Amino acid sequence: MLHLLVVKGVAQDVFIEAENFVDKGGWVVDPQFVEQMGSPYIMAHGMGIPVADAKTKVTFTEKGEYHVWARTKNWVPGNWEAPGQFKIAINGTYLKTVLGTAPDWDWEYAGKVKLKSNTVEIQLSDLTGFNGRCDAIYFNKSKKMPAEAEANLASWRKIVLAETLAPEKQKNYDLVITGGGLAGCAAAISAAEQGLNVALIHDRPVLGGNASEEVRVHTLGIYGKYERILKMIDTKHYPNGSSDAKYDQERRDRNVKSFKNIDLFLNWRGYDAVAENNSIQYVDARHTSTGARIRFKAPRFVDATGDGWIGFWAGAEFSYGRESYKTYGESWDKWGELWSPEEADDFVMGSSVLWENEETNEAQEFSELPWAKDVAKEHKATAGEWYWEFSRNDLHQIHDAEEIRDHMLRAIYGSFANAKKLEKNKNYKLQWVSYLVGKRESRRLIGDYIYTFNDVRNNTKFEDAVVEEIREVDVHYQRDLKDKEEPDFLSEALFYKTKKYYIPYRSLYSKNIENLFMAGRNFSCSHIGLGGPRVMLTTGQMGAAVGLAAVICEKYNINPREVYTNHLQEYLDLIEKQQ
Amino acid sequence: MLIAILFAITGYKNQKRPEYKPLFFSMANEWQEIAQDKVIFEYTIKSSDSAYADPNIHNVRLLSNNKGQPRLFFSEIETTVCADGECKLANINVYWNLLGNYVGYGIFPKLPLTKYDHVSFEKEDYAKLHQLFLDDNSILKRRKISDLVDTVSISSSNTSLIHVDAISGATRTEIKESVVKGGLYSCYTLWHIVHGEAKDKMKEHVQSMHSDSLTAYFLYAPYEDYQKYGLKQLPKKDFKHHTAQIVNIFKTNDALTRGYILKKIPDADLSIEKIATQLYNTFPGVDSNARTLLLKKLENANSIAVEIVSQYLDYLTKNQLILYLTYLKENPGKHTKKVKRNLIRTSKNKRYAYSHLVKEYLKNRK
Repeated sequence: MLHLLVVKGVAQDVFIEAENFVDKGGWVVDPQFVEQMGSPYIMAHGMGIPVADAKTKVTFTEKGEYHVWARTKNWVPGNWEAPGQFKIAINGTYLKTVLGTAPDWDWEYAGKVKLKSNTVEIQLSDLTGFNGRCDAIYFNKSKKMPAEAEANLASWRKIVLAETLAPEKQKNYDLVITGGGLAGCAAAISAAEQGLNVALIHDRPVLGGNASEEVRVHTLGIYGKYERILKMIDTKHYPNGSSDAKYDQERRDRNVKSFKNIDLFLNWRGYDAVAENNSIQYVDARHTSTGARIRFKAPRFVDATGDGWIGFWAGAEFSYGRESYKTYGESWDKWGELWSPEEADDFVMGSSVLWENEETNEAQEFSELPWAKDVAKEHKATAGEWYWEFSRNDLHQIHDAEEIRDHMLRAIYGSFANAKKLEKNKNYKLQWVSYLVGKRESRRLIGDYIYTFNDVRNNTKFEDAVVEEIREVDVHYQRDLKDKEEPDFLSEALFYKTKKYYIPYRSLYSKNIENLFMAGRNFSCSHIGLGGPRVMLTTGQMGAAVGLAAVICEKYNINPREVYTNHLQEYLDLIEKQQ
Repeated sequence: MLIAILFAITGYKNQKRPEYKPLFFSMANEWQEIAQDKVIFEYTIKSSDSAYADPNIHNVRLLSNNKGQPRLFFSEIETTVCADGECKLANINVYWNLLGNYVGYGIFPKLPLTKYDHVSFEKEDYAKLHQLFLDDNSILKRRKISDLVDTVSISSSNTSLIHVDAISGATRTEIKESVVKGGLYSCYTLWHIVHGEAKDKMKEHVQSMHSDSLTAYFLYAPYEDYQKYGLKQLPKKDFKHHTAQIVNIFKTNDALTRGYILKKIPDADLSIEKIATQLYNTFPGVDSNARTLLLKKLENANSIAVEIVSQYLDYLTKNQLILYLTYLKENPGKHTKKVKRNLIRTSKNKRYAYSHLVKEYLKNRK
C-alpha cells in the first residue's frame, strides 16, 4: 500500500508517481530522462503487443467525486494515431478517455470518478504495446488542470510530495562511486579488494551499463594491468544485441555482490552533488521506484555516470562537442571535416539502441506503422548492430536523449515492418528491443591532463600511464552526411590504426573539484581523444586505476592530485601487483 | 613494354592507342583531353610472395591538357597476386583525380585479370572491381587477407534462431558482397595499391601546385570532392566573389559540405540581402543539420532570412522550432507581418507535429 500523498493547501488532492505502482505488470521503469522531465516514468514497452496492466492501491482521506489526470506524452505527435495509448481504470472501471495522445509531456484529462471508499485501486491498461508512457496521476476535485506544475515541475513535485530539502537517511563510505557500468564496477572492485568501504550507486537493476543484458554491447579493448579484475565483469564477443549477454550478466552481478565491503545500490539514481570549497561533500540519490532518498558522504567520489553528472552538479569543468582541429592539433587530412572540423561544433558520436529478432515456426503479424515510416522510410532490417546510431546537430546526447531513443525506436519498428513485407521474413518476430540509449559520447570532465589524438599518434609514454590500449581509434559519423539516400539512423566508422597507446592518471581526476575521480567515457579527453578509449575494457581499466588511486588517497588522507605529485611510484607499484 | 615507353614521352600528341582508354571512368572526359604527361614520383609495391622479393617500382604520372592544366594522375601497375603459394601477374592502368581519389582503370586486352582458378574476369567482374575501388573506406582496408578467408564463428545459440545484420566489424557476407567472386586475392591486392601510399603523395603534389586558378577549377568543377577541396582552399574573404557557385554547391553537394560552407561563410556576406536570399531559399531542400545551422546563423544574416524561414516552419524539428521562436522573442523587430502570417498558418497546420508550440508562442505574445 502506498502512502497517502497530499497537496499542500488542497488536502483532498492526490498525487501518485507512476513508478511507485506496487505491481507494474508489464510496464518498465524508465529513469533515463529524470533530469529533463523531472522523474522516472513507466512505459509499456511491448514491441507491439500490449503489456500486462500496472496496478496499485492508494488510500484517500476523502471520498467523493474526483477528476483524474495523467502526466503523459504522445511520443510521436503527427497526423496518425498516437502509438502509445493507454487507459486508466479506477476500482475496475475504465475512465472514458484514451491517454497518450497529447504532444509533449503534459497532463491529460482521463475522466471523472466517484469514490465510495477510501481505498482506491488504480490500473493502467496499455492498448498498443508501443511505448505508451505515464509519469504521474493526479486526482483533484476542481477539474483544474495542474498546469502550474509544468512551469516548475521539480519544485512543484517537492511540495506535493512534502519532500524535505535533504534526504533523511545518510550513509558514510571511504569511496562513493556513481554509475555501475564497466568503469564503476572495476573501480568498486579494485578499491574494495584493498579494503575500502565502497558504495556503488547504479540506476538499473543490473550492472554493466552498455555491457549489460539491457543494452548488450560486447566489451572491446585489452585488459592492461587489470586482467584479473576485468575478467570478473567483461563479456564474451557475442554479436551486439545477442541474448547471450545474460550469461555475462549473471557472472558480473555475482562477482560484484561477492564483496562484503561493496554496498550495492541498484535502482538508485544520483540526483545531486554539492561541493564546498571545490570539494564534494555528498551525493544525493533516489530510488527509481519508491522515491526513497539517501545522502552519500565520503572523502572522495568517482563519477562513472558516463554523462558526467556528478562533476556537472558539483561544478567541475567539462567539455562537450567536437573541438576545432586547431585546438589540440588533431587534424587528419584523410578524413578532414568528418574527423575533426575546422570550426568546433556539437556533432558528437551518436547513441545506439540494439535489437534482435526470433524466427518462429509460424507466420507472425507485424503491421505497417505510419508513425515509424517517416524515420525508417524504405529501410528494411531484421536486427540491429553498432551502426544503428543516431546523432543530429539539433539534438544533445544528454538533454535530448529521450528524443534520440524514440527516434531509434521508430527506426527499428519501421525497418522491421518494411522487412516483414518480404515473404522470407514472415516467421520473424521481434524478440527484444532495448529501451535504453547506449551512449558513446556526452560530457567529458576536464582533468589535469586532456587526452587527445596526438597521444595516440605519438604513443606518448606518460610517467603516470595507468591505462594502455591497442585498439584503433574509431570515430563515427552519420552516413547521411555523405549520402542523402542513407537513413539518418545509421553510422559509419573511421579507423586510425595504432601501436599501443597510454592514458595518464592525470586525465582521471577533475582539474577543479579536488576530490573527484572520473572513469569511463566522461574522462578528460577531446572528442577524437575519446575515439579509442571509449570501449569498455579500456573504460574498465580507468575504473580499476581510480579505485587503486583512491586507496593511496585513503592511506595518506590526500586528494587525487597528490597521488600524482607525491606518491606516484607507490601507486604504480600497487597497479603492478594487480596482475 | 611498348605502351610504357610511349607513355613516358612527354606529350604523346594524340598517339592514343586503344589500350589507353579506361574500361571504367567516373569523371567526364578528362582522359580524352590529355596532351602532356610527366612522371611526378615513384612508389613501390611490395610483393606478397617471397619469389618476387624485390619491391616493384612504379611511376605516377601527372596528365595535363594542351594548356598544361593538370587533370589526372596515372600509373601502369604490374603486381603479383598470390594465393596459397601460387602467384600470377596482374596488370592494370589506374587513373586518379587530382586529389588522389580513384576515378577509373583500364586493362591491356591481352592481359586480362584472372580469378583464383585462372579463369578470366567476366564483364561484370570488371564493373564490380571498379565499384570496389571507388569505395575508399572498403571493408578490405581494415582486414588482413588472412582474416578474410577465415570462418567467422558465431556462438552456437545464435546459429539457428537469431539473425543479425553483422557482427561487430565485418562478416564474410559483407566482404563477399564487395569483391569479385573467386577474385578475392586480386581485389584485395589491387585495392591496397589503388588506395596505398601513392594517393597521399598525389595529394601532397597538388597542394604544392596551389594557385588561385587551380582553386577556381576545383570550385567550379562538377565533382563533389573537387568542390569540397576548392571550398577548403578558398580564403573566407573570397567567398563573396563566388556566391552563385557556392550556393549551387550548397544545394547539390552533401550534408557535410553544407555544414562546412555555413561555418566558413563570413557574416558580412550573409548580411547581404541577395546572398541571404539565395542561401535561405534552399531551406526546404536541404538536410536537417543544414537547417539547424541556417537557424543558428539568423542573427548574422540579413533580415530577409527570418521571413524566408517563416514560410517553412512546418519543416522544423522541435528543437529547431524552439530555436526560431526563441530568436523571434529576443528580436521583436524581426516579427514582421509576413512572419506573423506564417506563424498563424503554421499554428493551424494539423499535419505539423509541433503546431501547438507555435500556438503557445502566439498566445504568450498577446
